[in-house]
Amino acid sequence: MGNYDRSKGYVAILGWSLNAIDAIDRFDRRYVIVAPPWAEEYANRYDIPFISWNFERLNERSMEIAQRLKDEGVDVAIPLYEETVEWAGAINSVLLGNPRLMGQALLFRDKALMKRRAQLGGIRVGIFEEAQDKSDVIRFLTRVNQALLKLDGDPNDPIHLKAFDKAGCLGHRVVRTADDVDNIPEDEFPVLMESHLDGWEFAVEAFIKDRKIQFMNISEYVTLGYSVFVPATPDLEKWRPRVKEEIEKLIEAFDIDFGFIHPEYFVTSDGKMYFGEVAYRPPGFNAFELIERAYGFNAYQAMVMMFDPKTTDEEIAEFFPREVVDAKGHAGCFGVYPRRRVINELKIPDDTAQDAYFEFHELQSPMQNKVPKRSAFGTHWGLVYFFGDDPYRLRDLLKAQEELDYYI
Amino acid sequence: MSEWDLGKLAEKFEHVLSQLEQARRFNKQRYQAATLEAAARLLPLEGGVELLFEHAARYDRAGLFVDTAWDNPETLLPGLVRTSLESGDRVTVTIELLSELRLLALARGLHCHAGVPGEQARHFLTQVLALNLDYLLAGPAESSRVRLGNSAPAVDRVFRLLLAGIDFADILGSLVTEIQRMLAQRPIQVDSIKSMITQIAVARARGDDASESAGAEADLLVRALFGPSSSCADDPGLDVFEQRLAALEPDGLLAEARQFAEHMHGVGLVSDYHAQFLRWALASGREELLADALGLSSTGIDVLRCYQQLVHRLVGRAVHPQTAQCVYSLAMMLESGVLYAPPIAPALWRQIDLPLSPHCETLLTFAFGNAVPATDRLLAGALAILGQPLGIGQGNNPTCQSARAISMWAYNDPDYLLYLIQQAARFDEVVMHFEGTPISSAGVAATDLRQLPLDTDPVSVLLVPHLDKIYHHMGQLCADRGDDPHRWVNPEFHGWWVGRSFNLAVDLESGQLTAYRDFISRFYRSYHPYYNGNQPIIHPQPAGLAITDSNGAFVGWHAITLIRVALDQEGAMRVYFFNPNNDSGQNWGGGVQVSTDGHGERHGESSLPFAELVSRLYLFHAEAENSQAGSEPERGEVTEVMQMAVGSWASSRVQGVPAENEEKEN
Repeated sequence: MGNYDRSKGYVAILGWSLNAIDAIDRFDRRYVIVAPPWAEEYANRYDIPFISWNFERLNERSMEIAQRLKDEGVDVAIPLYEETVEWAGAINSVLLGNPRLMGQALLFRDKALMKRRAQLGGIRVGIFEEAQDKSDVIRFLTRVNQALLKLDGDPNDPIHLKAFDKAGCLGHRVVRTADDVDNIPEDEFPVLMESHLDGWEFAVEAFIKDRKIQFMNISEYVTLGYSVFVPATPDLEKWRPRVKEEIEKLIEAFDIDFGFIHPEYFVTSDGKMYFGEVAYRPPGFNAFELIERAYGFNAYQAMVMMFDPKTTDEEIAEFFPREVVDAKGHAGCFGVYPRRRVINELKIPDDTAQDAYFEFHELQSPMQNKVPKRSAFGTHWGLVYFFGDDPYRLRDLLKAQEELDYYI
Repeated sequence: MSEWDLGKLAEKFEHVLSQLEQARRFNKQRYQAATLEAAARLLPLEGGVELLFEHAARYDRAGLFVDTAWDNPETLLPGLVRTSLESGDRVTVTIELLSELRLLALARGLHCHAGVPGEQARHFLTQVLALNLDYLLAGPAESSRVRLGNSAPAVDRVFRLLLAGIDFADILGSLVTEIQRMLAQRPIQVDSIKSMITQIAVARARGDDASESAGAEADLLVRALFGPSSSCADDPGLDVFEQRLAALEPDGLLAEARQFAEHMHGVGLVSDYHAQFLRWALASGREELLADALGLSSTGIDVLRCYQQLVHRLVGRAVHPQTAQCVYSLAMMLESGVLYAPPIAPALWRQIDLPLSPHCETLLTFAFGNAVPATDRLLAGALAILGQPLGIGQGNNPTCQSARAISMWAYNDPDYLLYLIQQAARFDEVVMHFEGTPISSAGVAATDLRQLPLDTDPVSVLLVPHLDKIYHHMGQLCADRGDDPHRWVNPEFHGWWVGRSFNLAVDLESGQLTAYRDFISRFYRSYHPYYNGNQPIIHPQPAGLAITDSNGAFVGWHAITLIRVALDQEGAMRVYFFNPNNDSGQNWGGGVQVSTDGHGERHGESSLPFAELVSRLYLFHAEAENSQAGSEPERGEVTEVMQMAVGSWASSRVQGVPAENEEKEN
């Protein structure tokens, strides 16, 4: 840890991410990493300020870590992962003397509560319900399709199942038939069920300070769970004013004074925007990396600035570039899943490797030949990064990757 | 491909490189892959290699090699470059080529890296070029192109830049000089030298090289390896060679034997034919040829007569065309008279039929292949060490102490070394004692073979992991004693003869010079014949040097062995020492040029004028009484030594009082 600016805040980072630590260590704030004991040895080896803590469920010991950070002089806690969002809420309610933050964190952690709250705030959401068991799922699937006036024998419109409290695609299932329902393990319940929306899905990264959006990026999904790029195409960017209004509604509904949010939306063919969900932590799929590639600023550092109560308006104004126009190009990434059941080696497709937009990949050579069956949306095997000037060319390139074999 | 212009890629490279630069040490790995990818795409482009070369210092400092096998350029081996380049793995090839560009920047003084003086980088690259001449000369040799695959254009461009960048007026001449320089040190490991000569032979045969100046010398090297006698001068293959031998008269055979011996002792290399000749001579009842074929003097002949049966068995088991080089070691062992020491002959009989543990068998086969049985391979290795105690090199093992210890035992305590080899080979365990406590290396056999240093001689491959483990354990046992652990570890590890008076030039805590004049004085009184009552060094002594680069800048601490102190042919008092690194000819700056040949060195010795060596010395052992006795060295000379030290490695280790002020004070 190098020099830090004493006039600025002291932040606690909840969770262990080398990228985040690397970025924050280079920034100008004093920091401490709060993470599980398995990271302690590594932190000591590299002189990373560290407090060991097990983030299990919130319990009576939560006060202990909050008090410890308070004694340490920490100004604010920043969550890196879904699991640490409620901890940050609990800790910040102590550090900032604002008990409301605890309740707010719980809203972010329970997808059903979150949707209700959004709905109460006048935000348009799809149809949703909680399910305690498989019979609830069957009932919801049937009711939704009845409402769509499907006849017996017509293929069902799918519904989506999501865990209440997991990040992104983890535990996300698409259910069309009773057979699909049978395949859901009992231990995944309770879940949130949502109707399927046909439309254009995208995500937003919004940096918020003093209840104002300081910087907003729109991430365009090419195919959900596979690929994303920033900034979006002009076709999507033309929605920016509408998106901004929606984010402002979220700020009101969730009473967000500061921080970083990452909501997902659908735009349907009739031009209506539906809220999907929102997270109070850095997005998956390395969107921060893409933002840095496109805009040149480090999003972890930006996040720290948003949380730090001692940040000044001038600092913010100086830090962020102008949205869209200041981007040096468009950065995207593609999550690779093996397409074959049996594979021997990793081979970047020639067309990809030779494409001017291709940057690099983080794929590993396979350790075994058999590809495990993918359940739900599963986890990709690694990301491939692209960068270029033309968003449409980038979009088509990302789309084309879905038809290529990286593992043969 | 159309969009692939250099500018765009250069921009990508610049982006990832700046990210790598910014990243903290623990997160370097994340940006390495991206940087290598961008570099891999630049390499085959027109101008790409030049662009990367310009960035060599930057990517090295940025941490491109952190936590990779290329992290410490001082431990890289030229012989491994080809393996990397032909690995077919894009990342490996790219990182290897970028490492070469970095070394070129070092060689040309455009970049500094602790541990690698420019001179050393130049030696390294010369050897890399020699080992890969086929990439350079007369266009693509089909077979090597096939092995290089897609990376051929990149390799090609990098090698051309190296060739141009090193500025060889005469490439063949430079290579020959380089090979001769290394052979003068009589290394045990000659595979890499043999490959270089093979490359030269191929180039000469094709008539690729126009230079005549070095032609004769090059041909001598080629002949020593591929056709040292009349019957094999045309490199006919071993079978034809044997048929020819069978047809020769006794006079002809004697001439053959002498030609082999002459080339072997003259050049330092043993031809496969030579090994086959010895085997054939024994098999066909011509034992009388042995002495001439080994080129023995009266001493050697005497030993041979005393231990005839043993020597015949050693030849039968250890000498194969695949282990030909041990013929030279065998000759040197006989000449040394070491067999007259009572334990050696029986210990060698034990070694001949040593049953190997399964691990040892696997290890040796993994490292050397199975063309020769593992027992024979190890026996040949043991002969190599006994015959050439100073020919051992540490390979790419970063710890030099173990190589130094093996060399010291081979030189001074060979039956103990044979005992250690036997323990490790049979039981996978070596036990040494530290102040009475037994320290075992058990468990070393469980190490993944790929983690072990395999690029050295058979004895080192077997023993070094055991020794490293014991050495480190000993160090741990006295880590908290508040003084340099070498004080206790060196005598316990090496042997009783290591002097118990321990001398350190620097303060352990602060790293500053402390009582330095006294330190120098003690060394003179212990080791300089003019000041110690003309007492030669009796046993080899471990010592520590502060290695400096050709600018005199501190590079690191290094373990050596003091062997003897004597006048050279010009009347200068020199220290002759053993340096366990793989190539000892180094320029340490400030006029301190380590000599390996031409100043009275025996093969494998390095030497420096006494004062120059002392100017780089920071740790030595002595007999307590010696460093007290003796007479005070000349003041002027001591001051000069101090100035040389302060002018180089110790420049930042002088607290407050500069050397010249101290001089006035006294």
